[in-house]
Amino acid sequence: MNSGGGGGGPDDVVAVAALIDELKSEDVRLRLNSISRLSTIAAALGPERTRNELVPFLVDMNDDDDECLMAVAEHIPSLVTSVGGDEFVHALLLPLESLSTVEETVVRQKAVEGLVKVGERCDRASAMEHFCPLVKRLATGEWFTARVSACGLFACALEKVSSNGNGGEEEKKMIAQLRSLFGQLCDDETPMVRRAAATNLGKVAEASVEDKQFINDEVLNWFGKLTADEQDSVRLLAVDDCVSLSKLVSEEERLKSIVPVALKFSSDTSWRVRYAVAQQIYELCEIIGADFAREDLFPAYENLLEDAEAEVRIAAAAKVSKFCALAGPERSRENIIPRVRELAKDASQHVRAALASVVMESAPTLGKEETVNQLLPIFLVLLKDEFPDVRLNVIGKLDQVNEVIGVDTLSKELLPAIKDLAEDRHWRVRLAIIEYIPILATQTGESSFLFSKEASTSDSENNSAEDVLNSLCLRWLADPVSSIRQAAGQNLQNLTALFGSAWAKEHVIPKLESLLQTEKNYLVRVTVASTLGMLAEKVDEGDITGTLFPIAKAAAADSVANVRFNIAKSLEKMAKSVSAGSAIRTEILEVLDGLKADADVDVQFYASEARNAF
Amino acid sequence: MSKRFSLWGNFWRIFEPNSSLKNNLLDYVIRASKDVVSSVSLVLLVFLRGALFCAQEETRFVRVAETRKTNANNRDLNSISSRFPVETNPLSLSLFSTYCYIIRILRMASSSEVDAWIATLRKCEIIDENSVKKLCQMAVEILVEESNVQNISSPVTICGDIHGQFYDLKELFSVGGECPDTNYLFMGDFVDRGFYSVETFLLLLALKVRYPDRMFLIRGNHECRQITQVYGFYDECLRKYGSVNVWRYCTDVFDYLSLSAMIDGRALCVHGGLSPNITTIDEIRAIDRKREVPHEGPMCDLLWSDPEDIKGWGLSPRGAGYLFGDDACKSFNEKNALKLICRAHQLVMEGYKWMFDKELVTVWSAPNYCYRCGNVASLLELDEHFTPRFKVFEAAPDSNRAAPGKRTVPDYFL
Repeated sequence: MNSGGGGGGPDDVVAVAALIDELKSEDVRLRLNSISRLSTIAAALGPERTRNELVPFLVDMNDDDDECLMAVAEHIPSLVTSVGGDEFVHALLLPLESLSTVEETVVRQKAVEGLVKVGERCDRASAMEHFCPLVKRLATGEWFTARVSACGLFACALEKVSSNGNGGEEEKKMIAQLRSLFGQLCDDETPMVRRAAATNLGKVAEASVEDKQFINDEVLNWFGKLTADEQDSVRLLAVDDCVSLSKLVSEEERLKSIVPVALKFSSDTSWRVRYAVAQQIYELCEIIGADFAREDLFPAYENLLEDAEAEVRIAAAAKVSKFCALAGPERSRENIIPRVRELAKDASQHVRAALASVVMESAPTLGKEETVNQLLPIFLVLLKDEFPDVRLNVIGKLDQVNEVIGVDTLSKELLPAIKDLAEDRHWRVRLAIIEYIPILATQTGESSFLFSKEASTSDSENNSAEDVLNSLCLRWLADPVSSIRQAAGQNLQNLTALFGSAWAKEHVIPKLESLLQTEKNYLVRVTVASTLGMLAEKVDEGDITGTLFPIAKAAAADSVANVRFNIAKSLEKMAKSVSAGSAIRTEILEVLDGLKADADVDVQFYASEARNAF
Repeated sequence: MSKRFSLWGNFWRIFEPNSSLKNNLLDYVIRASKDVVSSVSLVLLVFLRGALFCAQEETRFVRVAETRKTNANNRDLNSISSRFPVETNPLSLSLFSTYCYIIRILRMASSSEVDAWIATLRKCEIIDENSVKKLCQMAVEILVEESNVQNISSPVTICGDIHGQFYDLKELFSVGGECPDTNYLFMGDFVDRGFYSVETFLLLLALKVRYPDRMFLIRGNHECRQITQVYGFYDECLRKYGSVNVWRYCTDVFDYLSLSAMIDGRALCVHGGLSPNITTIDEIRAIDRKREVPHEGPMCDLLWSDPEDIKGWGLSPRGAGYLFGDDACKSFNEKNALKLICRAHQLVMEGYKWMFDKELVTVWSAPNYCYRCGNVASLLELDEHFTPRFKVFEAAPDSNRAAPGKRTVPDYFL
C-alpha cells in the first residue's frame, strides 16, 4: 500500500479521500494518522484547494483532543510548499494563530515553533502585512496564553522587518511598535509572560544586533527589570540572558550592567537561581576574560562551591577543572583546591560523583608536583567512597593522571587503593579496574610492573603486595559475575600480547590448567576453556603444542557440555594459529572429530563448525 | 520425493509386524534421511513420528532404564524417549536414532537464520512479523515434545519473573553469563508490565529454539491470553506491529510451554506453587496442558499459588490458586523425594527468599520491579554438584538503557 505522496493514480485519489474522511473520524488514532499525512493530502488537493478548503478546515477544526491539536501544529509547517510557495505561506498563519492561544502548553509550543518556521518563509512585505500584525494581536491578547506565545515570535518578526538594512518609514514604525510591545511584555503582570519574555530576551537582542543604541538603552533596561523580578522562576531564566547579552554588548557595558547582576544572582536567596548561575558562570567568565573575572566572578564561583544547597554544589563541582584551567595554577591552588578537598567529603553522594568525574582533568593545569601533593590525596578519598558511581568516575579518568605524574608515582600512591577496588563489592567497579589494567601495563612494561614474580621477589617489602595484583588478574577468572570473568580472559589475552609467550607460560597457563582440573563450578571452567583459545592467538606455536593443546585436549572430556563446546571453539582458534599441515594441527583436528560424535547437540554443532573451517 | 514419504506414513500402519517389506522400507528411510534438503527431512520427520507410534502399539515393549542412563547427558534423546519409550525392539531403536538424526540436521540448517534473529533481538530491536511467525512455529515444534515436568540435569541457572524489563534481562545475562555458555531455566512471567515484553519474550524464545538443551522456559500466570490483554503485552504488540498477529502467535506458543521442570529428580521448579489436587509428580504429568490457563484446578494452581506461614491450605487473595503452608510443602517433598521447590511469582525485595526450613525458595529476577519498587533481583546458580549459589543484581544503569522508543507509525496505510 505504500503509494507515496503526490501521484495521480486512481488509487491515490481513493486513498486521499479516505484520509480526508479520517480527519473527521471519531477515532483519535485515525485522526492522528491522517494528520500526520497532511502534506500528502495537500499535495493531492493542489495549492488552490489547499488554501481555499484544507486551511479553512484546519482553522475550524475544533478538536477536543490535545494530542491531535499538537499533531496539527506540528504538521502545518510541512504545507509551505503545497499552499503555492512563499507567496501564499501567510495563509498558514491563521490556523497556527488559534492553536497558539490554547491552554495546553505543549500545543502552544509546537504552534509557536510552527509560526516561526512559517514566518521565516514570508518575505518582508507579507511579514509587514500578515506576520507582524499577528504578533501584535497576540501580544495584546487578553488571555495570558496569547501573550506567552507572542514572546517567542518577536525575534523572528524583527529580523524579517529589519532585514536588508534600511527599510522605509513603515518598517521603522513597525519595529518601534514591536519593541515597545515586547517591553510591555517584560513588565507584564503575569509571571508566565515575564518568563517567556526572559527566555526570548537574548534572541530579541540578537535580532537587533546592529542597533547598539537600542540594546544599550532598552534591552539592558528590560534585562535589569527582569533580573529584579520578585519571582525566582523569572530571575533564573534571566541568568541565561547574562551570557547571551554579554556577547552582544561592549566590554564596558558588560562590566557595568551584567557582571554586577551575575554577582547578585550568585548570592540570590533562591537556590534555583544560584543553580542556574553555577551552570552559566564559566561561560560568562570566558567571555569576560580571566583578567576581569578574577576580581569578582572567581570569588563568586568559589562561594558557589560552598553553597548550602547540594544541587548548586553539583553544578559548581562539574566545572571545577574548567575553572582551574581558566584561573591558572596559582589561584587554583590557593582558592579552588581547598574547596575541592571539602567537596570530596561532601555529604551528598551526587556532589562527590560530579566532582569525581571531572577532578582528574585539573591535573594538567596543576602540573606534576601539585598533582601529587594536592590532588592525589583527593583521588584516594574518592576512590574509597562508599558510593560506587563515585569510584567508577575516578577510575574512568585515571589514565589522564598517568600522563601528568607518570605511572611510577601513580602506582606507588594508588596501588593499594586499586587493589582494594579490584575486589570491590560492585561488579562494575571491578570491571572498570580490569579495563584499566592494560593501560597501566602498557606504560610500565613487564619488569617494572607487577605482573612478574621475579620483580617482586627482589624487593621483599613489596613482595606480598605485588603478588596480590599479579594473582588478581587470575582470580578474576573465577569471579562470581560472568562479565568480570570474560573481561578477565580478555585482559589476560591483552597482557600476553604485551609481555609475550614466555610470560603467559610462566604465570598464566599453569593457573588455567589447575582451574580446569580442580574448579567445581562449570561456569569458571567455561571461561577458562574460552581463554585458552584467546591465548592461542597470542602465544608462539611451540607453546600451543607444548602446553595449551594438551590442556584443552584433557578438558575436551569434561563432564559438562558447555565446557566441551567452548573447548571446541578454542581448538578452532588453536588450529588456525598453528601452521597448515603441521602434526599439531592434525592432532587438534582429530580431537575435534572426536567432539563431533559427542552426545550433546551443541557440542556436535560447534565441533562441526570448527572442523568445517578447515 | 517428499510427497512419497508422507504417503508411506500411512502405509506403515497396514504392514504386518516385522515384515521384510517393512524392514526394507526402513532401510530406505534411513538412507534417505541423510538427504540434506530440509523439506525432505521435514516430511520424513512427520513420517517417523507416525511410524514410531505404530511400532509402539504393535509390540510389547520393555522400557530399558539403561538406555536412559547411558544417555543421561543427551537431553535430546531424553525428551523424545519420554514420549516414545525407547524399546528393546531393534526396529524402533533404529527408527528412533534416525528421528534424532534428522532433528539435528534440521536444527543446524536453520541455526544461521535463528542466530540473525537473536542478534537483532539482543539489540532490543524487533524482528518482522513473518520471522515471528516462523520462530513461533519452530518453538512449538520443540515445546510440544517437552513433558509437563521437563527433565533437566544440573548445572543450570534458575531465574524468576522478568516482566518485559529487557535491559534488566541484559543485566541478568551480564551477571549470569550468556546463553549457551550458561544453561538457563526461566520460570515464567516473561511478559507484561515492562516496556519491552515483545523483545524479551522473543529473545528468550529464539534462544530456546537455537539452543533447546541450554535454555528452558516454563509457563507463568502471565503467559495467557486473558492476563496479557490487561497488563500490557497485547497493547505492546499492537503498538509495535500495528496488528495483533504477533500477540496471537506468541499466545499460541504460551499454550505449549511446559508447566514445571525437574532438576536431577531432586528439585521441582514451578512458577507459582503447589496444588491441593496434586500429591505426586505423575499427577502433573497427566495434565493436558495445551490450552489457555483455566480459572481453577491443578494447572491453574501450579501457576498461581503462593507459600504462606499457615498450616495446610488457605484461600489465595489473588483469586486464583491457593496459599500453602509449611506442612503441605514438606509432605509433598517427602512423598516425591524432593529436596527443594523453586518458584517465582512473588516480589521479594532481597531478590530471593528461603522458606520452610530451606525446602522452598522464591527467586525474583526483575530488579526495581515496574521501574519503581526499588528491589534487587537474583538468579540461582545450581552447579553440577547441586550446590546453590544466589547472584544478586541491581537494575541496569540508565546509561545502558535506550530511551523508550518513539512511536512508529504502522505502514499498513499509505
